[in-house]
Amino acid sequence: MDDQDLSRLIQTHATRHQASGRLRAELRARIALETAARRPGSAVRTGFPVWLRLRQVLPAVHWRSALAGGAAGALATWLLILPAARLALDQGQDMAAVLGEQHVHALGPGPLIQVASSDRHTVKPWFQGRLDYAPTVLDLAVDGFPLLGGRVESVNGHATAVLVYEHHRHLVDLYLWPDTHDSGETRTQWRGFKLARWSDGGMQYWAVSDMDATELAHFGAAWRIRRLRP
Amino acid sequence: MSTAARRFEALVLPWLDAGYNLARWLLHDDAAAEDVVQEAALRAFRHLAGLRGEDARPWFLKIVRNACLAWISERRGGREMTGWEDEELEHLQVSAGQLGADPAAALDRTRLQQAIDQAIRELPPALREVLVLRELEGLEYAEIASIAAIPVGTVMSRLSRARERLRTTLALSRNGPAPTH
Repeated sequence: MDDQDLSRLIQTHATRHQASGRLRAELRARIALETAARRPGSAVRTGFPVWLRLRQVLPAVHWRSALAGGAAGALATWLLILPAARLALDQGQDMAAVLGEQHVHALGPGPLIQVASSDRHTVKPWFQGRLDYAPTVLDLAVDGFPLLGGRVESVNGHATAVLVYEHHRHLVDLYLWPDTHDSGETRTQWRGFKLARWSDGGMQYWAVSDMDATELAHFGAAWRIRRLRP
Repeated sequence: MSTAARRFEALVLPWLDAGYNLARWLLHDDAAAEDVVQEAALRAFRHLAGLRGEDARPWFLKIVRNACLAWISERRGGREMTGWEDEELEHLQVSAGQLGADPAAALDRTRLQQAIDQAIRELPPALREVLVLRELEGLEYAEIASIAAIPVGTVMSRLSRARERLRTTLALSRNGPAPTH
């Protein structure tokens, strides 16, 4: 059998694997998210002086510009994400915008998960030494929200725990930090992302996702129930 | 849709199947291939500005190929990193004798596909990638050389060795034994 016959045999019979529709859809979604994250019109207005914002963004600019290909765009994007102060942001909509941006950013170039594990006994100790508090880590797999892992993000200079959950291929980022202020329970949205917020006397919780609001409410309810009876 | 996203749809997305096929043949795993191709495609999107006048297909396949090698070296701790150097290829075993003189007569279509897939899977990865890019994706020698970062002469010699191995594995030499199935 010569080369030509062998080629024909391979071309006729060997499997040519094809990308799934799901891969295509996920890719398009992530491209759309990256595009949204790059858009300079998404500025979060804060009262912080420019010099403070600049000081906060400068270390990040170089890396970001390598990705975005333009220091101006990079600066604009980082001006949106970083400056809003956690303390000054009890006005829910501002916080929604900040966490929305961070959620979008994490879906794109940022590390979505720094510790990948469905085992809360792996995820919780991982936060040791990375945070000045010990976040509660729950796996909500029985409720349909398996834990994928976690990461630490800087929310206005405060190292903040983020737990990542999955639900039918949607991701939920749960931001939690210590704050005894009772903020009640609120829902809001930002550019189509849904945000749910609650507190339990010791911690503030913000869940951000592209799931619909009802599902995110289920997530919040499941968390609060498991928190009491893990 | 932004300009960048439109460019990506027009230039890169048409080669997503080709990228996935290469990744799947290099990694042997659906989920890993999906992850790697998705990350490679995002990288391509972010660096789309760097693609000027170049043909997008080998450019994208090169990103996919490098992402596959990175995946192999990270996830498997280098365990599967053998078989990428020409010097090693001589020493790797070839399993012999599956099809016989007339493969089409020996096996039905499904079993023929399985036997050929199996034979390609058993190729050392350096030969496998060249064969997949040439026979399944129909790329030119020069394009394969650019993707695999090897000289054109090496592409040709690897392709020839890949074919030789497939003949041995499938018992396809002209004087090969009759099918035993």
